[in-house]
Amino acid sequence: MGRMTLCGIHPASRKRYTRRKPLVGPDTPPERVFIPLELCAGCVPAIPTVKVGERVLVGQTIAKPGDENGVALHASVSGTVEEIRDCPHPWGGSGPAIVIRNDGAGLLFDGLPDPVDPAHLVPQVLLDRVRQAGIVGMGGDAHPTHVKIAQAMGRVDTLIIDAAECEPYCTADQRLLADRGDLVLQGALALGQAIRAKRVVLAAQGDQIKTVEKLERWLLKKKISVEVVLLRSHYPLGEEKQIVRAITGREVPPGGAPVDVKCLVLNAATVYAVSEAMLRGRPLTHRAVTVSGRGVVRPRNLWVPIGTPLRDLIQSAGGMREEKALFLVGGPMRGVEQKDLNAPVLPDTNSLVCMLPEERAVSSPQTPCVRCGRCAAACPMRLVPAFVVKAFRLNDMGRLKGLHLQDCLQCGCCTYICPSQIPLMDLMRKARTIVEGGDRA
Amino acid sequence: MSRIRSGQLRRPPQMSQTSGISAIMLDVLVALIPAWCMAIFLYGFRVVVLTAVSVATCVLCEYWYERLMKRPITIYDLSACVTGLMLAMTMPVTAPYWAPMLGGAFAIIVVKQFYGGLGRNFLNPALAGRMLLTTFPMLMTNWTDALHRVSVFSTVDVVAAATPMAYLHEGVLPPHRLSQLLLGQQAGSLGEVSAFMLLLGGGYLVLRRVISVRIPLSFLGTVAVLTLLFPQGNDPVRWMLTQMLSGGLIFGAIFMATDYTTSPVTPKGHVLFGVGCGVLTFLLRQFGSYPEGVGWAILTMNGSVWLVDRAGIPRRFGDRAFVPTRHFLARARRSVSQIKFVRPQLKLPHFVKADGSVAGEAHLDQYRAWGKSCGVLAAVIAVVVLGLNGLSQLTGLDTARAELVEQRELLRQVMPEASYRSETPYRSPYALSITAGYSDDEMIGYCVEVQTHGFGGPITMVVGVDLDGKVTGVAVTDHSETRNMGTKAMEKDYLDQYVGRSGTIRMSGSNCVDAVSGATATSKAITAGVNRALAIVANLDPEDDQSYEDGEV
Repeated sequence: MGRMTLCGIHPASRKRYTRRKPLVGPDTPPERVFIPLELCAGCVPAIPTVKVGERVLVGQTIAKPGDENGVALHASVSGTVEEIRDCPHPWGGSGPAIVIRNDGAGLLFDGLPDPVDPAHLVPQVLLDRVRQAGIVGMGGDAHPTHVKIAQAMGRVDTLIIDAAECEPYCTADQRLLADRGDLVLQGALALGQAIRAKRVVLAAQGDQIKTVEKLERWLLKKKISVEVVLLRSHYPLGEEKQIVRAITGREVPPGGAPVDVKCLVLNAATVYAVSEAMLRGRPLTHRAVTVSGRGVVRPRNLWVPIGTPLRDLIQSAGGMREEKALFLVGGPMRGVEQKDLNAPVLPDTNSLVCMLPEERAVSSPQTPCVRCGRCAAACPMRLVPAFVVKAFRLNDMGRLKGLHLQDCLQCGCCTYICPSQIPLMDLMRKARTIVEGGDRA
Repeated sequence: MSRIRSGQLRRPPQMSQTSGISAIMLDVLVALIPAWCMAIFLYGFRVVVLTAVSVATCVLCEYWYERLMKRPITIYDLSACVTGLMLAMTMPVTAPYWAPMLGGAFAIIVVKQFYGGLGRNFLNPALAGRMLLTTFPMLMTNWTDALHRVSVFSTVDVVAAATPMAYLHEGVLPPHRLSQLLLGQQAGSLGEVSAFMLLLGGGYLVLRRVISVRIPLSFLGTVAVLTLLFPQGNDPVRWMLTQMLSGGLIFGAIFMATDYTTSPVTPKGHVLFGVGCGVLTFLLRQFGSYPEGVGWAILTMNGSVWLVDRAGIPRRFGDRAFVPTRHFLARARRSVSQIKFVRPQLKLPHFVKADGSVAGEAHLDQYRAWGKSCGVLAAVIAVVVLGLNGLSQLTGLDTARAELVEQRELLRQVMPEASYRSETPYRSPYALSITAGYSDDEMIGYCVEVQTHGFGGPITMVVGVDLDGKVTGVAVTDHSETRNMGTKAMEKDYLDQYVGRSGTIRMSGSNCVDAVSGATATSKAITAGVNRALAIVANLDPEDDQSYEDGEV
């Protein structure tokens, strides 16, 4: 079932720390949760609908969408709204967030909508549900999911459920699939029917063969037609354009989206959230987070309320081994370094990796480019970083424009593979800003 | 404690593969070891000394140059060691020790450092060094047979052998079996003879992901296809396999053409580069004046890497298959449409001026002046041309006459009874030329021009052999022996000893000649040459290919 792709890289996966650890709740519920008003990429911050001091229950709406594309926010714990203030944001910087003091009761809000029957799902109902449930892309892009589904409605023939976590350390989606895979598959099927996709594919990666077998047995029993594909693992397989190519062989045109080649790609965790919203009527309040790396004592997969501070995750994982660990949200390849551990878990936070210096790259000094061509062979978008760097250093704008810098995924394969330790991805990004700035001027 | 660490955020990715340039170079060194060990086994301890000289030269040159230029010292990245080892592996074992020194210094200083050091050179340093040495006459074409181990200190007693490439260049299959070629039992450069060991090293490099198979495979594949399509002789498969296994093809394809800096960057470029190398190698081997063409082919492609790089930019992700072609055609059409024909603005002399008046005396004066200067110019050119022509006629005649006299003198010395000599259809890889001597339209013998190793270098001589296989005369045409020592063995008294002899001539015992005291090495060399000429004549047969064994007749 494995399909060969010739580009990409094969970093040490280091998933063995957590891949057999089932999803569990945190040891102690968080004292407070911080729910930033700015949750989804590219939309206006939500508008709070609760007042300070008001009591809220799990799943209760606490903010309404800022604009058409925005999503509603929900309380992930029961308690009282303490304040609305600036809090550190895991994407960097800080932003206004609703702080809820947890009373530990975990009482469910009783005004939740009724479950819908997936067999008689009206597309508009689905879209409203997804929007009301506050679902955004949970694989890392954090774009509002209802917008994505609305764009794809009736225009796609393949729905791809992306459970191929290519980032090292991350096992949250994998565990979700292993522990609650039936719900993911039900959601996938319902979604596929709603958007009238001919083919629904669940793409898992490399070391999940047992999970895949279990899911296939379940599918056989229920007579549900969802394809489960096990892909040979490599990085960046989880990337939308890459997984579309791996599953269907189609290539998303430059500047386009998977919809342009009749595909819709949704992360497995997102589909799980959609499934919960439809089949149980519950909004997005919790998610699976992998806490891993040698920096924590007990790496594990946690099922935590959204808004839990990262510090609490580390507490639940047995605490820090050393102070000098590097904290990354989202995995070592593309993750953002966290300086402030009070930053909360967002819907797109799939992992918190605490790397010790010995796990990271030996940072040997940068040497001149020897034109080995490994970056060109590794680039999943078939760019040639070596040429970009040369043109950038010579300030050759004409050449730079012809190198399709806008296609870059910022996946970091080139920096990873470079034997001369040249920060190729950074240089690509700089060159891109210069080229785009030049275009505007 | 909210702030864990201050300072700027690290840029992703936080992981990276750990191999650096020095690790890659170490892998290349490891991959060269099997072929190198095989070379020691085949050619003796001299290989080790040659390699040591070569590597030491390269490393020292790099060190001193960077020291002088106050650049960071980069000898620890091992690239100079790789260059040194590769250079040594491309040399014949008989090469004098100054050859790797010169080649290494040229490779490191001129080819690598002048262009800015590692990563900036546009020619493969080791190959450029080797090709510089190839331009020295007789230095890099002195091959010795395998298992004929050469002394560390002198190469005098080396028996020259023909490489398989020399046979192939003549259009005949060499006498070696394919297994011999595969294991390296052939004459050739140190590193290139054992195809098996080279493939072993290549496999290691591919498995270690140091090189991709694209360049070697496309290079070797192109040569294989072309030699299979255009074979000489009646066994195309054997011709193809022999072409593949002999000469520096495999060494070049695995180690020289895959040099990072001087090969293209993109996968498509790799394939184009390999195919280009293959086609050039085939053409140079088929039509070139040297038997081997791999080195020149790779250097030529090195020089055109910038072009291959442009052609090799991969198809953009998401573009259809022919989008790049369409883009290229559109751009070409735009460029062509930019070209406009501009009429030349010729200024013709105006006989009638713009105001209607006719040109006067001043105008005529101007024409007269032009005519005068043109005449002078024509006269000067004519004189120079005539002078040059005359000079060349005179000297040409003189040269031709001198040559004729020289030839006649040579013929008188070698075959006194013949009146003239002419070309023969015979060829032998061991003789420079074979001509037939005639007396009144009747052939009376052959004159064989052979080359042997004397005390101070090669000795070229012409040996006359009559149809009965007897020596009619010996003449030395070119040598570099010590004056008054070695030359004693070239005087008429000594050379006349050979006249009338046949069979194998020895230095002692039966059928022997007396060596000139003080010129034993030269005497031996001349005797070897005469023996070889006799052997060649004895084996002359137009139908058969010359299978001559160095030794008894």
